[in-house]
Amino acid sequence: MTTTTETAGLAFPRFERALAVGDAGEGVGVVDELLDRGVEPTVLLLDVISEAQRRIGERWQRGEWSVAQEHIATGVSVAATEAIARWVRRLPVTRGRIVVGCAEREWHSLPALVIATGLRERGWNVAYLGACTPASRLSAYLHDAGPDAVAVSCSVAWALPGTRQFVEAGTSAGIPVIAGGIALGADDTRARALGATAWAPGLREAADVVETLPAVVEPARPLGAEELAEQRGLELNHRTLVETLRRRWRPQDTFTEGTPEHSDIAVVVGDCAEQSLCALQGALLTGDGRLLGDTATWVRSVLSARRVPEARVTALATELGLLLRDYPRAAALLRAHWPGAA
Amino acid sequence: MDTALDHAGEPPSRPAGHRGEAAFLLDASPQLAGSLNVRRIVLNALRLAVPVLGDRAVLALFDGRGVTLSACDTDGAPLPPVLVPRLAEDSALGRIRRAGRPELLHVVPGAGSADGFAGLLPDAGLRASMAGPGPAEVLGVGLTARGSTAGALIAVRGEGQGFTRADLALAEEFARHAAVTLDAARLYEERRHVATTLQASLRPPELPSVPGVRVAARYRTGQERLDIGGDFYDVHGGPGDISVVVGDVCGKGVEAAVLTGKARQTIKTAARFDRSPAAILAALNDVLYADRSDRFVTVACARLRPAPDGAGTLATIAVAGHPPPLVLRRDGTVEEPELAGTLAGVLPDLRYEEAAVLLEPGDAMLLYTDGVYEAHGRDGLFGQDRLRALLPGYAGASPETLCEIVEQRVMEHLDGRGHDDIALLAVRCGE
Repeated sequence: MTTTTETAGLAFPRFERALAVGDAGEGVGVVDELLDRGVEPTVLLLDVISEAQRRIGERWQRGEWSVAQEHIATGVSVAATEAIARWVRRLPVTRGRIVVGCAEREWHSLPALVIATGLRERGWNVAYLGACTPASRLSAYLHDAGPDAVAVSCSVAWALPGTRQFVEAGTSAGIPVIAGGIALGADDTRARALGATAWAPGLREAADVVETLPAVVEPARPLGAEELAEQRGLELNHRTLVETLRRRWRPQDTFTEGTPEHSDIAVVVGDCAEQSLCALQGALLTGDGRLLGDTATWVRSVLSARRVPEARVTALATELGLLLRDYPRAAALLRAHWPGAA
Repeated sequence: MDTALDHAGEPPSRPAGHRGEAAFLLDASPQLAGSLNVRRIVLNALRLAVPVLGDRAVLALFDGRGVTLSACDTDGAPLPPVLVPRLAEDSALGRIRRAGRPELLHVVPGAGSADGFAGLLPDAGLRASMAGPGPAEVLGVGLTARGSTAGALIAVRGEGQGFTRADLALAEEFARHAAVTLDAARLYEERRHVATTLQASLRPPELPSVPGVRVAARYRTGQERLDIGGDFYDVHGGPGDISVVVGDVCGKGVEAAVLTGKARQTIKTAARFDRSPAAILAALNDVLYADRSDRFVTVACARLRPAPDGAGTLATIAVAGHPPPLVLRRDGTVEEPELAGTLAGVLPDLRYEEAAVLLEPGDAMLLYTDGVYEAHGRDGLFGQDRLRALLPGYAGASPETLCEIVEQRVMEHLDGRGHDDIALLAVRCGE
């Protein structure tokens, strides 16, 4: 007899094909069929949908897929997750109320939708706010609904400042906040620094930790004033800094202008510049320099996959250092954690 | 793995002297004021009250003739609230309600004082869990704000740790802070209930599922805290013949939302008599013009039916002062039907022209409002050109993905700047 995990595993290639061709109907069909065959929603959420999404990210990173392809495939995953969400809504509500969402600048709503769906399966009364929710809107919702907890998902470092605002909105109303998502890293350092009540790297952990939350928490402590001032400065000048970086650091010039390689890398370079500066902001907010090390690794893999020579890749560290002359704390973090930065 | 992060540190103890009391109130006040939700304020107040004011605490909220009692267990987890439907006027709690004056009791189990305890805390279960088997000191203070007593805070201490005058003064001051916040929250909840009920018909609708086409929509109000605004979308009709509508009324916020409700209803009613978009817009114009208000509406309206030869969907489109929908072909080509029409509500007896577009399987159509192209970012307006340039990469995408990517790009373009309401509706013709 096959287990439900094996059943889901057998259907996985079909689901991946649906993502590759952008066929939402087929994606939903695969999920509906597995639910009918008794596969648990959590298994589908983790072993099918989250796993497929992880592979999409890798395909983009290796340069095999465009951003649009990635979006279209994610759209199929969202449709499939919504099908699971419809299915779990038939289950009775047996626990308290939880608000799940993403902060401003966070457009990756799927992880939050996965968490929302998984918590609903476990009997929580979940309100899902979706992507890019301003903190003022969250606050209004918290006043209206008075939930037992807030769960915030953060996938990109760019959304860490907004995630901190979510923490402030929740905890200043006395409501505990669970934070998770890849931008929060592999341990609780960043969640703790942002003032979250708990850290949950995934659905199973979130489901466990939500049981242990205090009913009331104190307002999150203020962040370090100097770090915060530098982060705000970087945020305010972000566009200018990204443009300066793009102008000075031009790894695409390895290739002839007008070639597909040149234009592909010009786009990727924008992402690398954005990510690096966002990682600096995140490191200032959380004190976690690993954000920089991880971003350096990511930049390297993205550019190496596109055959950019080593010297052009390492030039980024130098350019970043030059850019941060007015930001001593950010510059110190860069030197300490970005390989090759001096 | 235990992932809960412990920020609490040392549990707070009872304050010593004036400085400790002042610090307690200074700390408690913003925490009490942090929420406008009655249930959350009750939880916050209970947590703050223990152990400073008592070893255990109950919050009583008067409600009509009865009272609702809230408390936490020894771990601080909230117990289910107890509703006592009728509160005796001459009980200790009844006296607090009428006079707002504090009540202090020394409770000895089995003695006559137990009756007094029942008068202050009219639920046997809560009395047992609050006071335990031994003697106890019990203090009840009124939650009085803006001239009325909304409830009471009941604090319980073990024997020998009686309440001093300073303790009483501290409890009363704390109760005043809690009462002001609770009063504001109750008012907020009452008003919110009215607002939510009135808003229900003005909110963006749930989309019906329509055979043969997939429809998705997005709505983002310019005023972040509101769910309603001056843009609207709608989908109605039945299998084989549906109408999709996106529109924008002049103005923003609540006043505009009221007009969107009227426009939506008029369009829906007009569509019951004649589904042709030109006829619908003419009817809308007549109704709005007859009102003699100076308000106007812009609308794009499309009627979707299966193509006569069976392959694809035939879209008939009309616009009133609104850009025509963009058609995104499966191969990435973007088309805009040539079509114009005057905005509705200002001039009498308008007639509208129609354009017909055949949508083949995999083709999509996007309806949008000016919140998209007039989004003002650092690099100027988002504009129609950016919108058209964005779409080809999303040929064949689901309508949800189309709406999402447009919304995302517009918000990125704005980069935190304020914006007008944004409404998007995408239709994709099925295989």
